[in-house]
Amino acid sequence: METAELQEKIFAYMEKMKGKKKLKEKDVIKALAEETTEAPDAVKKALRGMIDVGRLMYSYGGGASSVEIPSEEYLREKGLIK
Amino acid sequence: MSGKYKTPLLDELEKGPWPSFVTEIKKAAKKSPMADDELGQLEKSYRTKRGYWKHGGIVGVLGYGGGVIGRYSSLPEEFPGIAHFHTVRINQTSGFFYTAEALKMICDIWDKYGSGLTNMHGSTGDLVLLGTTTENLEAIFAEYSSRGWDLGGSGSAMRTPSCCVGPGRCEWSNIDTLDITYTLTQEFQDELHRPAFPYKFKIKTAGCAVDCVAAIARADLSIIGTWKGNIQIDQAEVKKYADAGMNIQAEIVEMCPTNCMSYNGTLKINDAECSRCMHCIAKMTKALRSGKEKGATLLVGSKAPIVVGSLLSWVIVPFIKVDAPYTELKDMIRKMIGWWDDTAKPRERIGEVIEAEGMRSFLEAIGVPAQPQQVKEPRKDPFFFWEESDFQK
Repeated sequence: METAELQEKIFAYMEKMKGKKKLKEKDVIKALAEETTEAPDAVKKALRGMIDVGRLMYSYGGGASSVEIPSEEYLREKGLIK
Repeated sequence: MSGKYKTPLLDELEKGPWPSFVTEIKKAAKKSPMADDELGQLEKSYRTKRGYWKHGGIVGVLGYGGGVIGRYSSLPEEFPGIAHFHTVRINQTSGFFYTAEALKMICDIWDKYGSGLTNMHGSTGDLVLLGTTTENLEAIFAEYSSRGWDLGGSGSAMRTPSCCVGPGRCEWSNIDTLDITYTLTQEFQDELHRPAFPYKFKIKTAGCAVDCVAAIARADLSIIGTWKGNIQIDQAEVKKYADAGMNIQAEIVEMCPTNCMSYNGTLKINDAECSRCMHCIAKMTKALRSGKEKGATLLVGSKAPIVVGSLLSWVIVPFIKVDAPYTELKDMIRKMIGWWDDTAKPRERIGEVIEAEGMRSFLEAIGVPAQPQQVKEPRKDPFFFWEESDFQK
């Protein structure tokens, strides 16, 4: 599977899970590796690519970290969108 | 700009002979509206006995999941200067050695983008820079990283490894704590910046059992310098200590935790019983030196009492050689982390998981045999769980 296609699937999964559960990076990798039969390392690489450009971001609460879709407000604050 | 708020309660903390954080915040407030509002909110907290900070959320620099801790005032209209007051952690140097020029540069950048307030250092070891806004984060990161600095760890990640001053200033250090810490920091960059663990994982390295970095009380993995073989004794120097008035029987022999020493004009040590605690060596620095074969003891499991109770580390690997490039040490750390990552529930530290799962599971996963040195204290319940096959041997 092409990386871009895998990233779309990751994003769709993140949207589906939004507000339901705080997802750790490992949870996303495990779920997408099962869904797509891609190797976990390929999912991890695709996920990291999304994090590197701000399509997904790490979040933090109560001492534990998770991965989330950033809000438009936050992207605007960061200057990533107008 | 400064002095916007009356602070009679905080002013009390400036009295007495000690340095005062209030005085330092007031100094910063002369040029920083953030520091001024911080004073105002703190005074209000003291008056109302309530905290007004919120923390967490998505705050960081692109690609990194650690190093920035989002912090917001819950009273942004009243204290607009600290509506955002994020903390930035900068990976400290090994052993906390800086030039004045480096410190000035760190502070100049922080004055430009933040409140000017710092905490040197945080309990994990990072340089902690207190108070900036979301829009400044990428610029701060660019300024520091272009000068060779990097963010430290936060969240469910490997935290910035730290160490004592080691051989940089202490000739009793059994291992090169500075090089070990630098090497492990480079080795675990991904684990440090991309939080993928169940919770935090801290590594601290001390050159000897005096443990100046307090590893056994705070680190998930403590690397403590030790030795094999006999303590080296210079009897002429022992005599000088006695002649100078040291009560060797009371101060050294009777303070030995394993009673392995005797003194009758000549100091004798039964090295087979020595637990390498460093008490005698630290007291008689000219007379005693550690054994010649150096290495480290690995201890696992300490933590502060956030979720369950506090734990102290306990010995897992009594002796491991730690020479560059530290391949055996790195492999051992990866095995420990791998087992913990596969086994822990969210927010469980490795020490808690070992208590829940049993030592056997952990030792099997990291390939270390059960050894007497691993016995921390007598227990009534079986901490090491036996299997049927063990009884058939």
